[in-house]
Amino acid sequence: MTNLNAVDPAAVAQDAHLDNSDVVIGKSTIIFRRFLRNKTAVAGLVIFLGLTVFSFVGGYFTPWDKDTIDPFNIGMPPSAEHYLGTSQAGIDLYAMTVEGTRISILIGLVVGLVSVLIAAIYGCTMAYFGGKVDKVMLFFLEALIMMPALLVVAVATSGGGAGLKRDLPSWLLLIIVLLVFSWMGTARLIRSMSMSLMQRDFVKAAQYMGVPPRRIVWRHLVPNIGSLLVLDITRGVTGAILAEVAFSFIGIGIKVPDVSLGVLIGGATSQVQTFPWMFWVPLTVMFLLTGSLAMMNDGLRDAFDPSSSSSGRARRKIARLTSGQKKAS
Amino acid sequence: MSSETTTGPAEPTGSPVERLHVAGLHSPTDAVLSVRDLHVRFNSENGVVHAVRGVDFDLMPGKTLGIVGESGSGKSVTSLAIMGLLPGTADISGSVRLRGRELLGLSDKAMCEYRGNELSMVFQDPLSSLTPVYTVGTQISEALTIHNPTMSRHAKEVRAAELLAMVGIPSPNDRLKAFPHEFSGGMRQRVMIAIAIANNPRVLIADEPTTALDVTIQAQVLEVLHTAQEETGAAVVMITHDLGVVAGMADDIMVMYGGKPVETGPVDEIYYNPRMPYTMGLLGAVPRVDAAEKSSLVPIEGMPPNLLHEPTACSFAPRCPLASEACLAGEPALAPVPGVPRHHAACIKSEALGGDVDVLDIFAAPPVPASRFDAIPRDERATVLQLKDIRKHFPLTKGSLLKRRIGTVKAVDGLSFDIREGECFSIVGESGSGKTTTLLEIMEFHKDQDGEVVIGGISNKQAADSRARNAMRRELQMVFQDPTGALDPRFTVYEVLAEPLQNAGMDRQAIRKRIMELMKLVGLQPDHVNRFPNQFSGGQRQRIGIARALAVNPKLVVLDEPVSALDVSVQAGVINLLDKLRAELGLSYLLVAHDLSVVRHISNRVAVMYLGKIVEIGEVDRVFDQPRHPYTRALLSAIPVPDPQVERTRERIILKGDLPSPLDAPKGCNFATRCPVYAALPPAKQEKCRTLEPPLEAVAPSAAARALEAGPVSVPDQRFACFFPDGELEEDMLVVQDQADHHAP
Repeated sequence: MTNLNAVDPAAVAQDAHLDNSDVVIGKSTIIFRRFLRNKTAVAGLVIFLGLTVFSFVGGYFTPWDKDTIDPFNIGMPPSAEHYLGTSQAGIDLYAMTVEGTRISILIGLVVGLVSVLIAAIYGCTMAYFGGKVDKVMLFFLEALIMMPALLVVAVATSGGGAGLKRDLPSWLLLIIVLLVFSWMGTARLIRSMSMSLMQRDFVKAAQYMGVPPRRIVWRHLVPNIGSLLVLDITRGVTGAILAEVAFSFIGIGIKVPDVSLGVLIGGATSQVQTFPWMFWVPLTVMFLLTGSLAMMNDGLRDAFDPSSSSSGRARRKIARLTSGQKKAS
Repeated sequence: MSSETTTGPAEPTGSPVERLHVAGLHSPTDAVLSVRDLHVRFNSENGVVHAVRGVDFDLMPGKTLGIVGESGSGKSVTSLAIMGLLPGTADISGSVRLRGRELLGLSDKAMCEYRGNELSMVFQDPLSSLTPVYTVGTQISEALTIHNPTMSRHAKEVRAAELLAMVGIPSPNDRLKAFPHEFSGGMRQRVMIAIAIANNPRVLIADEPTTALDVTIQAQVLEVLHTAQEETGAAVVMITHDLGVVAGMADDIMVMYGGKPVETGPVDEIYYNPRMPYTMGLLGAVPRVDAAEKSSLVPIEGMPPNLLHEPTACSFAPRCPLASEACLAGEPALAPVPGVPRHHAACIKSEALGGDVDVLDIFAAPPVPASRFDAIPRDERATVLQLKDIRKHFPLTKGSLLKRRIGTVKAVDGLSFDIREGECFSIVGESGSGKTTTLLEIMEFHKDQDGEVVIGGISNKQAADSRARNAMRRELQMVFQDPTGALDPRFTVYEVLAEPLQNAGMDRQAIRKRIMELMKLVGLQPDHVNRFPNQFSGGQRQRIGIARALAVNPKLVVLDEPVSALDVSVQAGVINLLDKLRAELGLSYLLVAHDLSVVRHISNRVAVMYLGKIVEIGEVDRVFDQPRHPYTRALLSAIPVPDPQVERTRERIILKGDLPSPLDAPKGCNFATRCPVYAALPPAKQEKCRTLEPPLEAVAPSAAARALEAGPVSVPDQRFACFFPDGELEEDMLVVQDQADHHAP
């Protein structure tokens, strides 16, 4: 009879093998390395981080803030006192850009993160239960998609939501409205992805062990679509920033006295000829913001996609060199 | 026979350039393909992987070379390098000469001249190697057009039909217009072979051509490959991990390990007189379908070498039970085995390893475990699972708006069997025979099921509330086919094993203790619990899967093809483990497998399924040694045996065609459409087969047995469903003569 407690020598041998060599590389390391290989993506990340830092500490570099009017400099071009000039109301543009960037990034990040989270839970639940639950939830989702988001935003931020407007700052209101209308597409995508995950054996294994559905969704489905979620977050952030700019531009998003990039761009369009700096500065910042996210997105896809061929070339020189070194040592 | 084929290294001296030159000038003029010193490197996240390290061989016209090895040994990379199909990021050096012309270094465009023309390939997965949007005829014509631009349209059509007929596709002219999805897997592989031989290639490379197919279909496809080779006179490179598949076909064998050939030689030498411990291990690891005697399999411990580093010692030494200090001194070259022409082995001890060395002794195979239940007669053991008349029918509908029911798929049709304590019961059959559906029906355990499932005394009819279901889940657990897919990639081993225990309501301390026990039980290091599944090899992952199934101490474990995704050497270890656990824990298994050799090795009783019905059931040795149903016989005869002599002399029953579609399922005996016995019956008897359904009946004790035992004869444990298991010997000797000797050897 074999001893039950004896550890299989095969396993020990394999273990020694695993310990001695660098076979095992953490998944995060691989993802990080792949991301670093894409230079554009790294540049995007640097720009994005730079802008974020700028939006928080930029305010300390100027004595002006967005509420103070400088009566001696109204509608002035950039100068030593006002780095980016002033608006026709005499407010420092630099201070407003810093504030606007912060609000835009805030809206982007919150909407991007939370909408993907909602989408993930909603989509996974639909996929897991299927049948009637799926049908009802899908109907609700389709109904939301068909709702004219523009009108709802307009009503909520200007006319109808008077009570709301008193209690909430306009950017928070916009976040809520954007959230309601931004998660459906992702949820549908996640639903189809989870449906294919459901066919995988580990979900079946959990079912056959009698694990309750709630736990299966939360512990098995959500983490396994993680890479898609990360991609969707960056996409969602871009989308939210653009939506904010667009809504504020046509005057139904952020309301003065709150500042955002969209408000700045919208306010300056009529005076591009007379006060060009008022228009071009916030527009450039917005381009940098969305552009850097788009650049990152490509790199993230490369890093997370398991079938990605991003592993570099086998260059003969290097191969020869290393084998030569091995022999020498 | 095969004396003019040579495999082996070229002159070992001189710089590569010089050697190439020499090889070009002096290689035997009649070798169609000669490969010299082939090296392939890839870059990976971990560094440069040296996937192929010095492959040499010469392939003579009309001969077959079998390349055998575990996954990761460089077989497929070698073939892709020859075809010039490796990605541009790979670094290839050496020489590949097709009829004296160098192929390496040619541009992709220049290679196209050769690919599909003089050099062609059959891929592993027939389902994905045909374009779904073009008809089969178009795809064959495409291969013809590229290399014969002047060929007329009519000529191409004629040739395409001729090719389809050659690979045994009935009514080829009509089938030319069919799309790939209208063909079954085996048929598609035939089409692939037809495309590959369209331009009369000199060399045909077949990369695991039958791995994705059923045994019966595998036998057909191997036959077709053989015909194709005879028709075109092509030399074949057959790449496989299955030593049985090449035994009957190959003239020469090259065993690869760690990117290098470790043993080459004529087929008989390799099988009967292996000189390299790795080859011996591989041969010992394969269970034999023709051996009833129970002995443990040879597991080759450890994992294939890491090709990131140039090995400084024999690459097999870490896994070799015979390894000594001398083995670590340097990597042994492929050297001729003294006294045996054309047999080369890369082992410093090859001289000592003659044909009379017992592989079981070398590899220290564990003793055969004995269960405490083995001594108790089957009738006296408790029943752990009972199925009574289980049925699962799926409606077949057509139309998108108004769904019309046009038929029924009888996936499982009236299945009854029982499993006793400490017993391994297996279900075998082709894919589509309803094996997996049966398992799912058992696992589902619903009240609304058609038929009764009794698990450990709990019936699905009486108690189907969640409490009873949880009790049942504790009696019954499952091990899945694909160990990678069955473990959540984001869980550590600890979390994987803890899940069923948490679910059973155990506290943290008890869970920890139980997990440590489980790790030891399945032969894994207990301190590995914090690793992720992707840090384990396939065999270890399957061990984790087994540990998870055993966590809640079930009585019955359902095994769905537990070893089919594993390499031969690893498979042996897992089978031995399953055998050990059954004996020590008194488990019962319900095993579904398509590999009959594994089934014979591990199980006590077996049921053969065909189209949702059991056609033969009984004690495993009886069913395998004296199969009564024609389908069982065909299945058994289709299994390749890793023994060239047996393979060459064996008479195969090649079943015609595939499983019938559920729409035109036969009324009477399901098997009638493919049955070789039925085909030879006189019309009156055929009528009976066609209209009446044969019941599952016990084998009547033979006359000889009756004569021997004067008293009441014990009925053997074997039942089958066939009216004329032996054909019609008495009346129509002439008609059935060629059928009568079709017994499996």
